Amino acid sequence: MGRQVAIASAGFSEHASKRSDVSMPELVSEAIEDCLKNAPSVELGDIDAFVNGNMPAFEGANIPELWMTDWMGARNKPLLRVTTGGTTGGSVAIAGYYNVTAGLPGVDTVLAVAFEQQSQGDTSVGLASVAYGEISILNTLGVSYDQLSRLLSAGAAIGVAAYQATTYMNKTKTHEEDLARVVVQNRRNAAKTWWAHLKMPNLTIEDVLDTPYVQYPLRYGMVCPASDGACAMLFTTEEKAKDMCDIPVYVNGVASVANETAVLGYDGSGSAQVDPSMQLGAIRSAELAYSQAGISFPRKEIDYAEVYAPFPNQELMWTEKLGLFEEATAPEMYKAGVTAVNGELPVNCSGGVNSTNAIGASAMERPAEAALQIMGKASNQVPKTVHTSIGSGWGGSLNLITLMAMSDQPQRKWR
Amino acid sequence: MHRFILIIILIIIKNEIKMSEEKVIVANKGLVRADFAFWVGQYLDKFYDGLENKKIMGNKCPKCGDVFVPPRKICGKCNIVIPLEENWVDLPETGTLMNFTTTAYRVNDRTSRKAKDWTIGMIQIDGSNTSIIYRLLKMELEDVKIGMKVQIEWSEKTKGDPSDIKGFIKV
Repeated sequence: MGRQVAIASAGFSEHASKRSDVSMPELVSEAIEDCLKNAPSVELGDIDAFVNGNMPAFEGANIPELWMTDWMGARNKPLLRVTTGGTTGGSVAIAGYYNVTAGLPGVDTVLAVAFEQQSQGDTSVGLASVAYGEISILNTLGVSYDQLSRLLSAGAAIGVAAYQATTYMNKTKTHEEDLARVVVQNRRNAAKTWWAHLKMPNLTIEDVLDTPYVQYPLRYGMVCPASDGACAMLFTTEEKAKDMCDIPVYVNGVASVANETAVLGYDGSGSAQVDPSMQLGAIRSAELAYSQAGISFPRKEIDYAEVYAPFPNQELMWTEKLGLFEEATAPEMYKAGVTAVNGELPVNCSGGVNSTNAIGASAMERPAEAALQIMGKASNQVPKTVHTSIGSGWGGSLNLITLMAMSDQPQRKWR
Repeated sequence: MHRFILIIILIIIKNEIKMSEEKVIVANKGLVRADFAFWVGQYLDKFYDGLENKKIMGNKCPKCGDVFVPPRKICGKCNIVIPLEENWVDLPETGTLMNFTTTAYRVNDRTSRKAKDWTIGMIQIDGSNTSIIYRLLKMELEDVKIGMKVQIEWSEKTKGDPSDIKGFIKV
């Protein structure tokens, strides 16, 4: 049986489109400094093991964890790199959890770090290397590369999100205004988050709808930015966490499930073949994590959610698929202000991936921010007390969904 | 701000599948060029500014006293941040040869075999605790000895990057 794991702290670097003032290791060290600032009794020397990750090939630098070993304080310590595409951050966080829960001798406190410095590389080429899983499927079927690029249309992640958006909007009878409303909430929230990238305190729905399409139905104003940034989380045992911080955040459930093998409907498996907005992977992730955490009624029991959504339609879709709202009701919830900072179930008060996207770090920033909301240390703190929160991730070439369920109470039921 | 550009050529595989007698032939055809770059950060930026003015600058860990060339933000031994504005050390142009080797090839250049071998070595700049790797110039291989004193040969025109140091010569 695994040990109970707690998050003692989390931290961020400043995010921007170009962090040309720092090298990659220096960027990472900023997040670690901020993380340790939130847990003043912890020094780098107290950390027993490290997990590190970013997108493969985005900066053109492989094994960067060895480059930044000293900058993380990982010299002579166990060090592991995890990289799973867009969910990298989520997987790095889960690996940090595994490291602690495994109960290895001498490994109690683990620092997990995820980062991306996108200004250094070519994101589209980086994504091409990640998306090769999908491309290879088409190649096997004899679809040549030039035809393929037409199918992917705008390319990169938006090529996937657009299909999710159109099917979701058709099913739920929602409009572009509903998407714009999500963006407005996110960018206004980002304005109150110190580390966020796109801060737009006065953004309106009209402003968003006034921008041109990138790929129907997604407009320029709805799309996430490409950021440079890093995030760090400190995982430790229940006992040690009590000495390190006032309110330890217990990790009670983790999951990472892939189901949507086909984006373009070519491959014979996965729910995306006919309906990209079905998201069985997300539903299964939620089932797994919630059952581990003893959450029976997610809508009632979860107080705060950070949902990975570079595009607004995904935020609507996944809040439903992760069990936060009934099917097809998310747009109404956003309209009614349920998801606002002072709402009943605040979502993405950090501004979310829609406002800040340092890809490798993004899926870790979700559980990190969700944990800080429980601790009461978040930048855009919600007024109500948060007992239970979730942080999700989306990505990988095959639509992997990561999920971490956290609470201010340890969960012992399933042990 | 210094930014080093590395061009990586990605080969996107265009699969051409010809099925004959259960043989599958895959041919590589497409080529995509992609640029990557590396921000060097403020510490190295200062170092390259120094090189442009033909000066070697290192920084010193306030705890263990190790001097780094090139300078760095964090001392991995002590796990502490060396502040950007402090602990800078001006270092001399001289150093000690720690070891050496010869190379027949240049990066990405198979034709260079015809050219004369290069002698390259690790040089510890006097007053520092780290080594940098550069060419050893104006000396025959027989003359190269580990532990010998060497000094920098600067490029005629410096531009604030590692090529400002042409190599090292015998003192």
